[in-house]
Amino acid sequence: MASSSAVSERRGIPGASFVEDVQIYLTQSGLDANSALSFLQERLQQYKLVEMRLLAQQRDLQAKIPDIEKCLDIVATLQVKKGTGEALIADFEVSEGIYSRACIEDTDSVCLWLGANVMLEYSCEEAVALLQKNLENARASLEVLVGDLQFVRDQVTVTQVTIARVYNWDVHQRRSRQAASTTPKES
Amino acid sequence: MEKMSLEQLKALKEQSDMEVNLLQDSLNNIRTATVRLEMASNALHDLSLRPQGKKMLVPLTASLYVPGTLDDADKVLVDVGTGYFIEKTMPEGKDYCERKINLLKSNYDQLIEVASKKKSIADEAGVMLQTKLRQVAPTT
Repeated sequence: MASSSAVSERRGIPGASFVEDVQIYLTQSGLDANSALSFLQERLQQYKLVEMRLLAQQRDLQAKIPDIEKCLDIVATLQVKKGTGEALIADFEVSEGIYSRACIEDTDSVCLWLGANVMLEYSCEEAVALLQKNLENARASLEVLVGDLQFVRDQVTVTQVTIARVYNWDVHQRRSRQAASTTPKES
Repeated sequence: MEKMSLEQLKALKEQSDMEVNLLQDSLNNIRTATVRLEMASNALHDLSLRPQGKKMLVPLTASLYVPGTLDDADKVLVDVGTGYFIEKTMPEGKDYCERKINLLKSNYDQLIEVASKKKSIADEAGVMLQTKLRQVAPTT
């Protein structure tokens, strides 16, 4: 019985292959039980690290997406107002807890903060296009991230099962060796 | 405290440590709130220097700014918590910030006193625990 392997790796995350027979797995890898156990434990730690990193990225994305949607809504409102030609009175945040009033006249351009101390002025249409693209990228990245997280969780489960089986096999081996060494003396 | 048994001393030390940690957290929270209020107060002061009708970029969200002009600079909305906003004039707004900062500062001072008292109790309990342990150890 050879050990079957699932997806070998995904986006840099090594896959854990399910071990059908512990004996064959150990002879194939040329490790004894203890070194196999420590190797698998190390793998488990790596998976845990990757999972934490992915969770943090997921949180960031989940915070960004509503923000982009809000920006899109506002630009759409501005475009609607543009037609009527009346000025818009808006309350804006001066600092946390302090808001002041401003008058926004008919304007064609908006400024978008792109991060890293960069702000660019766009026309309304360009701004909408840019925001849409950002939103789609963010949503696509989130999907990929969720897929990655599921993959990592599967590998963690497989690795934990392998660790348990290697350990049990080792205990079984020790017991049978002990039994084999004691019975000749008895007989 | 000398009359307490070993277990009681341990329990007292643990409880005091927990209380000290809680108080430290509260102190940190008050400190951050005070810093934010001071920033708000500075921003308000800055705003009061700007004339009405001055051209500015109005932040509509965290990453979207629209060119516009400053409307009535004498009126500000202050957030008083639980979703309520009150419109005040500029001097009233500044006064509100000042009062809030003073309130937080006095809370902070009071908390520091309580925290240092708790910490000294915790330290005393720790020292007592050590001496008791040393007393018990050589006899066993």
